[in-house]
Amino acid sequence: MESTFVLTRCGDDLFCIAVDTPQDAQSLAAALSEAGNWLEVVPGIASVVVRFDALAHDDEDARQKIAAVIEGGIDRRDTAAELLEIPVVYGGEYGPDLEALAEATGLPADELIARHTRDEYSVDMVGFTPGFAFVGGLDACFQVPRRAEPRPRVAAGSVGIADRRTGLYAMASPGGWNIIGRTPHTLFDPDAADPFALKAGMRVRFRAVAADAFDV
Amino acid sequence: MSVTVLKTGLQTTVQAGPRIGLRHMGVQASGAADPLSMALANKLVGNAWDGASLEATLVGPTLRFDVDCAFAVTGAYAAVTLNSEEQPQHETLFAAAGDELAIGAMQTGARAYIAFAGAIAAPGILGSVSTNLQAGFGGHQGRALQSGDVLVLAPREQSALRTPDEFQVPMSSSWAVHACDTAETSLLDDASEVALFETNWVIDQRADRVGLRLDGPRLTVSSDGRMPSAGVIPGTIQCPEDGSPYALAVDCGTVGGYPRIAQIARADRHVLGQLRPGDHLRLLRRDAGHAVALLEAKIDYWRAWLPEIASILR
Repeated sequence: MESTFVLTRCGDDLFCIAVDTPQDAQSLAAALSEAGNWLEVVPGIASVVVRFDALAHDDEDARQKIAAVIEGGIDRRDTAAELLEIPVVYGGEYGPDLEALAEATGLPADELIARHTRDEYSVDMVGFTPGFAFVGGLDACFQVPRRAEPRPRVAAGSVGIADRRTGLYAMASPGGWNIIGRTPHTLFDPDAADPFALKAGMRVRFRAVAADAFDV
Repeated sequence: MSVTVLKTGLQTTVQAGPRIGLRHMGVQASGAADPLSMALANKLVGNAWDGASLEATLVGPTLRFDVDCAFAVTGAYAAVTLNSEEQPQHETLFAAAGDELAIGAMQTGARAYIAFAGAIAAPGILGSVSTNLQAGFGGHQGRALQSGDVLVLAPREQSALRTPDEFQVPMSSSWAVHACDTAETSLLDDASEVALFETNWVIDQRADRVGLRLDGPRLTVSSDGRMPSAGVIPGTIQCPEDGSPYALAVDCGTVGGYPRIAQIARADRHVLGQLRPGDHLRLLRRDAGHAVALLEAKIDYWRAWLPEIASILR
């Protein structure tokens, strides 16, 4: 396989590898994690950042180990990854930006919900805050910028739209995504055995549910 | 066996070591913003370097001991009083039940550390006891201390120690750290690249555990304003669209969408915890190999007093 990945030293304890797609980043991150003992391996949208301990590894050894993984080629993740169905209450108090999005796109809110729940997506990246998931592959109608004025507080479980991605707020935080709904599903629980509901590469599908989903 | 918070100060949190190995799940480092100063405090009370301690910011807290306990204060210069009697930093101090400890306003430096013999008892979450302020977990109820909070102590016998003079980190209002080129340094135009490493930057009011904005000349990066989000760590310097460099600190998010224009060397990242608004900062450009050599030299120097120095500067 022809690789176009570019490896750059980024300071005394970091390497950054530029890749083409989130799937490349996930596959390369998985291969790197298996090949070495790193402090961090962080897949991004089009990159992988590796943090290593320069006191424990000779830095030239570290570079060669990473280069060998890149040259060896990566297995694309198998597409039978776990599928998580995420219930979402769309619009109203849970999705305050749905109407504005309908106006901006010229599509009725019902049609936006139908398109958002129609397809299966994959988690492109998890990060910024614990468990926050960037879900890619939205219909072209969702090509909208973030809000000009970010909100000081977006509730946990909020489902936001920006730049053809869905952003899932695993916890309450400030945020600028256009909020179209909220899931009652717990996305991050630091006390749970597995605190993270969503992982990079996972497949997700959204399902519209009634507001009483929050009463359970 | 506890200590009660009478006044909180500006922002006082329970901190210990960082969370490492979960940035791919979005988990920030947290932990002491100046781990070297926290380690010095823990050393004086016989704890491991990362024993859960209090990190006070710009204005310190007032605490009342409900048990006899040895403690120590290090970091930013501030008046330390026990029952209104002035006490030194960098020495083991002994409080009796009922005593009141007050830490005043920081005169130089931004953060003081208070360590207690036996450390503050708190559960480890995702690998550390440290407070994650953004996600609201760890430390004391996942938040900064409030007056009336009661922290559980586990005191034990402790003999008196003093930090040797050569290991008392001097505070300053004018700092220099070593920094390397990183992923998007080459996106700076020529004048901006010179300015980044030649400017005596001023720390902006926007300076906290997440990051510090650097005031000075506006830099120009040739990106179209839309970088695909990529991994960042404490010590990464980003350049947002407004052209003001922003140095990420221990609570920074795990990915960022702005060009990464420099990376502060691992050996010097502890300095970020002591920068306060108005301080000056120079970035000394070094290549990665030089930055590793600096780290090795710093570790050689500190090993005699802090044998865990490699972990402290991790």
